Amino acid sequence: MNKPEVPARLTLRTISHLVIEVSNLDRARSFYVDRLGFAPTGDWPVEGELCLRCLSGQWLVLKPSPMPRTFAYTGVHQAYGASPVAIAGIVNALSAAAIPVHRYHEDRSAERDDNCYFADPDGNRIQLVRRETTVGPGVCTIDHAAVLASDMEWAEDFYRDRLGLPVEHRVGVNTDDYVRARLWGEGKDDMAPGTRRWDERYRDIPGGKPGQGRRVPRPNMQMYLRTGSSIFGVYLATAHVQEPPPHLAMGSPRTGFAVDRAELDRAAGLLLDANVSFEGPVEHGAKSPVAASLYLRDPCGNFIELCVPRNV
Amino acid sequence: MAHVESISHSGICVHDLKAAEDFYCDVLGAVVHSRVNFKTQDALRGRSVHTSLMLGDYLFAIMLSEDWMNVPPLEQLRGENRVRHAFCIPKAKFPALLDSLKRHDVAFEGPVTHPDRGPFGESVYFRDPTGNFLEVLWRRDEAVPYNEVQALGHGGGG
Repeated sequence: MNKPEVPARLTLRTISHLVIEVSNLDRARSFYVDRLGFAPTGDWPVEGELCLRCLSGQWLVLKPSPMPRTFAYTGVHQAYGASPVAIAGIVNALSAAAIPVHRYHEDRSAERDDNCYFADPDGNRIQLVRRETTVGPGVCTIDHAAVLASDMEWAEDFYRDRLGLPVEHRVGVNTDDYVRARLWGEGKDDMAPGTRRWDERYRDIPGGKPGQGRRVPRPNMQMYLRTGSSIFGVYLATAHVQEPPPHLAMGSPRTGFAVDRAELDRAAGLLLDANVSFEGPVEHGAKSPVAASLYLRDPCGNFIELCVPRNV
Repeated sequence: MAHVESISHSGICVHDLKAAEDFYCDVLGAVVHSRVNFKTQDALRGRSVHTSLMLGDYLFAIMLSEDWMNVPPLEQLRGENRVRHAFCIPKAKFPALLDSLKRHDVAFEGPVTHPDRGPFGESVYFRDPTGNFLEVLWRRDEAVPYNEVQALGHGGGG
């Protein structure tokens, strides 16, 4: 019998939550609640983890770890939308507490106007992006989450062709990106870390070896995919890093995407067909804000969760 | 004296790699063979960004230009900007090519009929999204095989 035809792509609703690692849960809770305006919420399905909620209803989950894998190790960063008034208030409070805040130029037009970067007490990188329509003293929504990939083709195949996220913007495949990168190389364009890089063209020299080539400033390849009201960014990793063990489907840092129940069940079949290993669907308790989850990794080792929020 | 036999492959510079990929694949039926500098290992070696396409049996590399190139006015459909690439298509498929150009809103000049006694039948002239000059033609001698070109691997240098 022929296998029934199913649409090859999933329909993800938006980023539902981010899971990050912290060394001290109380300290991290205080940072995100007091400084960024998150609200604590109870009954996250994994014991020991703390779930916080922003105004949009999206969650930030703090996972305690003695040696947290943060930005310096994973390249993962989180970005929140906030009103100009809220950003000013947060930045002032951070500056008063001697927490460095950096402002950079950006490639993505939605981030060009006003953005700032800082780190939580464990070194998780946080970006604030201005959203004119948002209200409230704290952050309102997950604007985007970004991960590193060692292979942009694999990442595009996975996120666009398997998970169904449309590509909204690319960096590094246009001449304009290269021309702008030279300004960065001349110190005239203060771009956000990870968006530019120095390449060494040692292959220009016959028999050339690393350390012998000329260095050229270049854009680092990026891909921004739309998922509901949020963006999922993929940056080309500029160094090889040790990936978690292949059998590990659930880990952190992790990006959660909301799906409806039928789509979660369909995902299991599609991922099986695509030879992607996963764990689940895992059913959670009645009090959990998430009814069920499916855990997996992208082809470059980033942890992903597809989940059904309780209110869907 | 060395006797080269045929063109193995060629490379062409573009301003927008993805737009070029879409054009050559969607309009002309090319297939992506491989991409370079989409991986960490390529970035570490400072390789150029390019995509190798297969157009029939021909390896055609589209290379992202790191500088703006001079491009003749886009209204000019037939000509060359140092080079023009001309591709063959069977006479029977020539109408389908014209349909594809129209369907994708690609402006073209032609079909232009060549002299009866020459090897070429009809040509159509157009530009890719960067403005590179292109030509597709059918051959009156299409039953005669030219030297067959073996496809190369990943597209070489960079």
